[in-house]
Amino acid sequence: MSMPSIPSRAEHLEAWRESGGKVCAAFPAQYPKELLWAHGVLPVEVWDPPLAATRAPGHLQPYICSVVRQGLELLLAGAGDSVDLILFPHTCDSLQNLASLVGDYLKPAAPSLFFYNPKAPFKAPAREFYLDQLHALDRQLAGLFGPRAQGALEQALEWSRALAALHAKAYKMRALGELAAGAGEFYAVLRAGEYLHPTALIPLLEGWLAQSAGSASAGERIVLSGVLPGPPDLLESLDVLGLVVGNDDLLSMSRRLLTSPPGTGEPLAALGEVFLHMPPCSTRGSSLEERLAWIKGLAGQSKSKGVVFVEVKFCEPELFDLPELRRGLKEAGLPSLVLEVDVNQAAGGQAATRLEAFREMMA
Amino acid sequence: MSLSDKAKLQFMKDLGFPALASLQKAMRGKRAPRKANPDFGPPLKCTARLKEIMTRHYYLARFAPGAKPVAWVTSGAPVELLRALDFYTIYPENHGALCGAQKMGPELCQVAEDEGYSADLCSYARVDLGHMLSGKTPAGKLPKPDLLFCSNNICQTVAYWYKVMAHRLGVPLVMFDTPFNYTEISQDDIDYMVGQVKDMIPVLEKAAGKAFDMERFIQVAELSRAASELWGQCLETMKARPAPMTIFDAFVHLAPVVSLRGLPVAREYYEILLAELLDRARSGIGAITNEKKRLMWDNIAIWYKVRDFSELFASRGMNFVAATYTNAWAETIQHLDMSQPLESLAKTYSLVILNNNLEHRLNLMAKMVSEYAVDGLVVHSARSCKPYSLGQYDLKRLLSERLGIPAVVIEADITDYRYFSEEQALTRLEAFFEALEAA
Ligand code: SF4
Ligand code: SF4
Repeated sequence: MSMPSIPSRAEHLEAWRESGGKVCAAFPAQYPKELLWAHGVLPVEVWDPPLAATRAPGHLQPYICSVVRQGLELLLAGAGDSVDLILFPHTCDSLQNLASLVGDYLKPAAPSLFFYNPKAPFKAPAREFYLDQLHALDRQLAGLFGPRAQGALEQALEWSRALAALHAKAYKMRALGELAAGAGEFYAVLRAGEYLHPTALIPLLEGWLAQSAGSASAGERIVLSGVLPGPPDLLESLDVLGLVVGNDDLLSMSRRLLTSPPGTGEPLAALGEVFLHMPPCSTRGSSLEERLAWIKGLAGQSKSKGVVFVEVKFCEPELFDLPELRRGLKEAGLPSLVLEVDVNQAAGGQAATRLEAFREMMA
Repeated sequence: MSLSDKAKLQFMKDLGFPALASLQKAMRGKRAPRKANPDFGPPLKCTARLKEIMTRHYYLARFAPGAKPVAWVTSGAPVELLRALDFYTIYPENHGALCGAQKMGPELCQVAEDEGYSADLCSYARVDLGHMLSGKTPAGKLPKPDLLFCSNNICQTVAYWYKVMAHRLGVPLVMFDTPFNYTEISQDDIDYMVGQVKDMIPVLEKAAGKAFDMERFIQVAELSRAASELWGQCLETMKARPAPMTIFDAFVHLAPVVSLRGLPVAREYYEILLAELLDRARSGIGAITNEKKRLMWDNIAIWYKVRDFSELFASRGMNFVAATYTNAWAETIQHLDMSQPLESLAKTYSLVILNNNLEHRLNLMAKMVSEYAVDGLVVHSARSCKPYSLGQYDLKRLLSERLGIPAVVIEADITDYRYFSEEQALTRLEAFFEALEAA
């Protein structure tokens, strides 16, 4: 299948602004984007901006991960003054301090908002707290941009339900080998959700899924785990080497996208349940048992024969879990490979060679 | 808990450890005394008592299993909940510092790395995992925990690290989630934390095999408060000129308030330390003989360099009189209020420096610079510790600009000296010394 035409970030942002919309630079990882939509704010996610890091290293030690470095670089390159809002969900120590560094010391023109995600286990106090957080964010957004329009949150939840269904369908088709799209295409389309408004994203996904029904290419099937799919050359290597991603356990992807859709009760309470039902994740404090069972399940559904961990260098939440996950997977007959990357750098030939050796080992 | 194990622990407390301590004292007496360094004032007499307390704690720990429930605890966790249930507590971070000071960091980190743990993880965690995998420790033997108790008020790292230990050791993990204080603490935050405490009590009771008693908890919390307040007063004696102790001493004398908080021994220890420090301050006895400049330290100690740095700075007539790190165990204790035990516990533990925003840190440091008459700032950028280190470059710049004091950043690690370049550190320090001396 040929790649669908996806509006670029810049085009979409320009059109959105021209229509009078507000823009929020949203840092990783989980946050209630439905609330932003409901307030007429477009969240544009900041995961791996392709910029040369020239300013950020003056503020960050070299042992801070490249997601944080690139995100700060983007703000310092002007985004911090041109957006209407910067949102920092609580994800890890590095993003926590980046939020404080930006909000307290660097003070770009755009206001910063912070959103604390409670950590597992999600018992009653965590549920109540999360709901309180939603109410607080709702009030803060109303303070900045005015009260949300009547029915706007209900509409946002409708979009969210439609997207949850489309994401689930895309993942299912891929797992069953019924999606004729390589890794590069799959992630290019799904990652458009990092900046497209649902009114543009929903038709894009619907059209793409309809056109992409078909057999996946043959090859050794794997599960991809880590934070982000990529860098781009790594996805190309997978396609070229005949390694087929059958499923993923990526923080930026399935760990957020494969949640249950919001229910139909009180809108904010329904939104709270979305967060609480996201798949297990290192940054949410999920136990190793849960994570292992989840990844094994992903491999089983997609008939994958191994797991490739693509880890961002210095990413503590992921790196702590790694040895025990690998051990558990090995015991389950699933070999694994670990590649460490910097998000703005090519994975390189060495990664391709290791992937090739891994494929041969699995065959 | 078995009666015979309880009897054994009691025997070791009453007879075993005192006999060992006498033996060690006799052996020490035979050793030639270390040659006095003329750059330092007379050593603190309390140090011998501190050694005895900490040796006793680690020695008795090996007899705790079966006699008491054993918990491994993070340094910022509300340990009072465990003390009220009579847990024997081990602090892996304190153990990590001990391994670091004994220069065992790289060896133990390597064991963890060989098992697949990245060399980029916090080295306290790697040291601890290395110890767990190899059994190696300078503390004799650490008892296996019945429970792990963790709070992310110092970092998220401990949550990841304790999760791994819970999985490997097959023991329950109790987590106390303290929302990061981006701006100011809210009632929602407090309610959430209190709700968690109420939820965790039955889990702690189950592991302890006894019921939680609020009165006992209040007694423990009062002991804790007393120890932390006394510790704060000990630190305040360093406002005197010359300061009666250095921060390098304080890094060591910090151990009881970290590891034994809530026990009578911690309060008693700080009573005698405070008396000695006040006496030295009154008599004009300085920790170093020629205190020309007064410095502040930011971040955890570089444990394998404590002695070398202490000598280096003393030889230049420079004394560290304040540190954000040592201050952390005194800074928030005023919130502990027994008329609202759980709410105030939540505030005390969630407002600690590492769970607080960088504006708070900047203001705190500016205040300390003024109160302790600080002339210069040394910032340890600790590779292990992202929450302490990310933001330090700007913190240093802003403090220097605001207060006009020289400052230097040293890139190092807390225990893993493979990431420390002596040459680079000394070059930076030489420039810093020149700036200070010219100021
Ligand atoms: S890559 Fe890891 S350490 Fe970096 S921001 Fe993401 S979760 Fe945090
Ligand atoms: S050194 Fe820092 S990262 Fe490591 S346990 Fe201590 S506070 Fe956490």
